[in-house]
Amino acid sequence: MIVFSNTVKRYPNGFEALKGVSFTIEKGEIVAVTGHSGAGKSTLLRLAAGIELASQGSVLLNNQNVSQLKEAGLAVMRRNLGLVFQDHKLLFDRTVFENVALPLSIAAFSRLETGRRVRAALDKVGLLNHEKADPITLSGGEQQRLCIARAIVNRPATLIADEPTGNLDQAYAEKIIDLFKSFNDVGVTVLLATHDDVGLARLRCRRITLESGKLAR
Amino acid sequence: MKAWLISHRQACRRAIRRLLSQPTVTLLSVLVIGIAITLPLGLYVTFANVSAAASRANTEPNVNVYLALNVSEQETRDLERKLKALHEVDRVIFISRETALSEMKRIANLADLLSSLETNPLPHAFSIRPKAGDPVTLEALKKDIAALPKIDIIAMDFEWAQKLKRFAVFAERIVLLLGLLLAAAVVFVTGNTIRLQILTQKDEIEVSQLIGATRRFIRRPFLYFGTFQGLLAGLVAVFAVMVFIWWAGAEVRALTASYGSDFSLQAPTGQQSLSVVLLAGLLGWLGAFLSVWMYLRRVSSR
Repeated sequence: MIVFSNTVKRYPNGFEALKGVSFTIEKGEIVAVTGHSGAGKSTLLRLAAGIELASQGSVLLNNQNVSQLKEAGLAVMRRNLGLVFQDHKLLFDRTVFENVALPLSIAAFSRLETGRRVRAALDKVGLLNHEKADPITLSGGEQQRLCIARAIVNRPATLIADEPTGNLDQAYAEKIIDLFKSFNDVGVTVLLATHDDVGLARLRCRRITLESGKLAR
Repeated sequence: MKAWLISHRQACRRAIRRLLSQPTVTLLSVLVIGIAITLPLGLYVTFANVSAAASRANTEPNVNVYLALNVSEQETRDLERKLKALHEVDRVIFISRETALSEMKRIANLADLLSSLETNPLPHAFSIRPKAGDPVTLEALKKDIAALPKIDIIAMDFEWAQKLKRFAVFAERIVLLLGLLLAAAVVFVTGNTIRLQILTQKDEIEVSQLIGATRRFIRRPFLYFGTFQGLLAGLVAVFAVMVFIWWAGAEVRALTASYGSDFSLQAPTGQQSLSVVLLAGLLGWLGAFLSVWMYLRRVSSR
């Protein structure tokens, strides 16, 4: 469960990206955050993942106040989240397999279990036959799927995705939307930011729309 | 516990992989750090040898008084009495010129040469032990003895040994200071190597932090890297000093033997060598720790 209570995010230069946002996302729900560029979608997701802290108000993730977590607690919390970044954040000096294995290495999984889980995740996103490839050789859609494989390899209860279909053609975007639907079908809470109307129609989920840092509806 | 061990094993493996992936850079770094450690270690070994030699030398204050050659038996007895009466004197031993000659023949293997002399060239002498060894007492004693008649030479033979001992203490401090400076240099060199490593792995660190890596996890492979680099540099330093002792040892032995000494350069013991290697590893660890700590503090996302 994710709860935003009158959350404000103010940057040092005085700019307010979020202006008193409140909403709740129930466990197992799938919610899309929409809005124009600069509306505060990415900021909202970064606050939910504990990458940034709220200036006022609070963000609760599974009943834990993210702002009050210390370094180690925040790291443990992030290990239980699946994060899909808009710019993928892949390591291009590592193979596809090694990129997906990174969260398992952080969580100190054995080599055997790591191999099993990485192949299962790659299979899920349709990249199993690319496990030895360099990410740079993959297409944009494949790189996005690789990023999703890395996010789900830990089998997280919550997935947070920032523009997962951005810059992808329609066919790829639909595949990715379907992937998120399939995760949600098995009980994963999904929070994703998007401005892809076709994708949203395909998702058929609750929307939170932001306008200049405020909830529009 | 199992997860902790797995995490350490992974970090250790990654550090070894990094060391081996750039053999030239690794070799150069290890050599630079090794040379930095060799200098204080080499000086320490040298001065430890000198200190050992100085501690074997007799540094007890002892004053030898040589009389004029024309002194009579009566005058010698009078002098002995006067010397014993001096308040700075603890003990006086008379060494007759005959005793001195036979002793010289025995010690210096000059029997043939000395036998060929028509007369004994050596004077009567007194070996005096003062009550105290401080410079003021000794200077006063020297002055009192010099005031007596028929005194030819007053020799304070222990002075050189005392100077040597003082020099050894001074050298020990220089080595300590140099050691501290070069230890700091080792920390900086390791820290800089790690800083360059961090720059090449900036993206990996950022992503790892975003997906749940603790600072400890990020730090671990770098700490192993720094420690391994330090340990290798320590081995290089010990090896270099051993080579130096082997190379210079024979020459030093030959030189000191010509002065009638059995002094020879001693290599550091196994325990000392191990200590140096472990200390170098510790310095490498410290350099790595400081470097990663500074970087993580700078990029802290919070």
